[in-house]
Amino acid sequence: MSALGELRALSRKRGGTTPKTTTNLRKADGRAALVFLGPWFVGLFAITLFPLVASLYLSMTDYNLLQAPNFIGLENFIDMLSDPRLHKSLQVTAIYTVVGVPLQLSVALGLAILLNRGMRGMSLYRSIFYLPSLMGGSVAIAILWRQVFGKEGIFNAFLGLFGIEGMGWISHPDTALWTIILLHVWTFGSPMIIFLAGLRQIPDMYYEAASLDGASKRRQFFSVTLPLLSPIIFFNVVMQVIGSFQAFTQAYVVSGGTGGPSDSTLFYTLYLYQEGFKNLNMGYASAMAWVLVLIILALTALNFWVSKFWVFYED
Amino acid sequence: MKANTKVATRTRRIAAAAMASALVLGLAACNSDDKAPGAAGDDKVNITFAWWGSDTRHEVTQKVIAEFEKKHPNIKVTPDYTSWDSYFEKLNVAAAGGNLPDVITQEERFLTEYATRDLLLDLKGLGLDTSKIDSTILDSGSIDGKLYGVATGINVHGVVIDPEIFKEVGVEIPDDTKWTWDDYVATANEISEKSDGKYYGVQNYSFNEVTLKILARQKGEEVFTKDGKIGVSEATVTEWFQRSVDLLGKGSPDASVSTEVQGAGVEGSLPASGKGAMAWFWSNQLPAISKAAGRPVQILRAPGESQFQRGGQFFKPSMFYSASAKTKHPEEAKLFIDFLINSEEAGKLILTDRGLPGNTDVRASVLPLLSEADTVGAEFVSGLEGDIVDGTPVPPVGSGKATEITGRVNSDVLFGNITPADGAKRWIEEMNAAIS
Repeated sequence: MSALGELRALSRKRGGTTPKTTTNLRKADGRAALVFLGPWFVGLFAITLFPLVASLYLSMTDYNLLQAPNFIGLENFIDMLSDPRLHKSLQVTAIYTVVGVPLQLSVALGLAILLNRGMRGMSLYRSIFYLPSLMGGSVAIAILWRQVFGKEGIFNAFLGLFGIEGMGWISHPDTALWTIILLHVWTFGSPMIIFLAGLRQIPDMYYEAASLDGASKRRQFFSVTLPLLSPIIFFNVVMQVIGSFQAFTQAYVVSGGTGGPSDSTLFYTLYLYQEGFKNLNMGYASAMAWVLVLIILALTALNFWVSKFWVFYED
Repeated sequence: MKANTKVATRTRRIAAAAMASALVLGLAACNSDDKAPGAAGDDKVNITFAWWGSDTRHEVTQKVIAEFEKKHPNIKVTPDYTSWDSYFEKLNVAAAGGNLPDVITQEERFLTEYATRDLLLDLKGLGLDTSKIDSTILDSGSIDGKLYGVATGINVHGVVIDPEIFKEVGVEIPDDTKWTWDDYVATANEISEKSDGKYYGVQNYSFNEVTLKILARQKGEEVFTKDGKIGVSEATVTEWFQRSVDLLGKGSPDASVSTEVQGAGVEGSLPASGKGAMAWFWSNQLPAISKAAGRPVQILRAPGESQFQRGGQFFKPSMFYSASAKTKHPEEAKLFIDFLINSEEAGKLILTDRGLPGNTDVRASVLPLLSEADTVGAEFVSGLEGDIVDGTPVPPVGSGKATEITGRVNSDVLFGNITPADGAKRWIEEMNAAIS
């Protein structure tokens, strides 16, 4: 949609500068633009819009992948109300979001402030701190995680130095989710970069004025940095909440696709995947996907509403 | 102005050329699926063969395909393989898209699912020669008189043991023609105790339903009955879970380590990693375990075989070869399946990797070629010939969910979230829902 808008704006602008003589040229440009936009249109319709509409229809059927779907109305949605595994998966995802997002953003902000001090070799540090984000979502790291937090993993070897006997962190229902949250926190790179850019935007004069008035570093942080950074924090919160509800890869690989032990890492998307592709309940999985859309929509709306009370825009 | 137009035209031309070449490349890439570029001629038929398995199996199967192509130069077989974990997810999606591979490796629990949804061909109708296939397992692939899959071979589930550990700890290997379930628990506990925790006795058995099948049959029940119902009693399932719980932290690792070991697969199992003496596996998995362990292992019959009025062990068709109902080349698919099951060339390469061959001639020619570990498994299977009472009925549609349900309920039972009795109740409930 935005590309279309840009196109229109562009042609308006051109029309404005040279009104009559370029009509033909404009037409030709329009055609060329359509050709160039073609692949994008194909992508939009074939890969985004069509599946979107199809899944909305499938969410009201008993589609099982192997046979043609039958329309069953809202039955899938009603079934969701009494599905204990669905409720468990919502609970798991909620904990992951509520704990993981603030933790990750705090780490990201803390490091961004450290890096903003303009020390030598900063770009190197920045790259190093960004590295986990590049790798964190990968299958390789999730597999590595299984090794690190296994019964005989590095983490327990480290605890062993202090005489503590560790356990199989990944394979115990009380701790498995926390190892995945930790993995998520570890991938703080992209919010950190965004924070860093935001910190750069804050004019030095505020700090100068504050220190002239005798404000401590601490006071400067809470009274200058945080308020001026709040739009950036808000952006990161919105993006990370959306991302958390869509988390899949880590949970899939760490639990071997089961969401175990004891469904303790059964993320919403993982359960959706199991239902759709393993248990052949594609209709139900489609309904789950639409409920996920609604949940994310509601949370984002809530975020925007709450932002009125804490986000500060300078102008 | 003029110069501008010229530049624009040139840019446009370059862009058009770029796009055209991109399109051509894209099309070429699509095309290469159908035909090998520059192949001998247009009359070459291409069929796809899908299977799951380990790296060893992938290598062997590629060799089998090469042999087949040498014999039939007009047929090209495209391999399509993945690990067991994602195999059926991939296959389900292919089925949904109407592009199933021509020749499909199937598994007992999904065969019915696919067959009853008209996704597979009747191999008998296709004229596949099955005259040499062991009659006890040929039926396992037929539903309503039609042969939807031909069994690749047979396996038996048994207790794989590491004799070295028994010797080191000083525990006698039990007589497997007589041992009871109590002996089983006692042996496991004794190994853990005597080795002072150095070795575990036995790996947890209830993450999948195979041992439950054996126990149920010993008691005259059947997990999946002939008429497609759940036929095992709550008492039996409770007893089965209870034994797991009783062993936790004694003869077996605790719940968390049990989960971890289970997740580590065949190669990470207790006997394979030298951490424990016993674990339940299929007879064709012996070579993999002994390879990982770096020393020979043995396999024992299930406990309790002489404890009740009947034995519970059974021959399981390891896997099946099926042909897609939508294949454009049924004749070539048949030729390839025939080569896989009936030819000595294929048999000598595959050996017992897909179970002890179901074709009795192939089996005879393969036996002398087996490695030590393979021989142990083959002899175990043939030694049971007279003692196994009957086969298990074809599992109903939906039984493919059994492993997932069993693993999940077991996890809750092991971690003490529910009692074995509640676990049994939930297991039966969920299984009934799955197959209804």
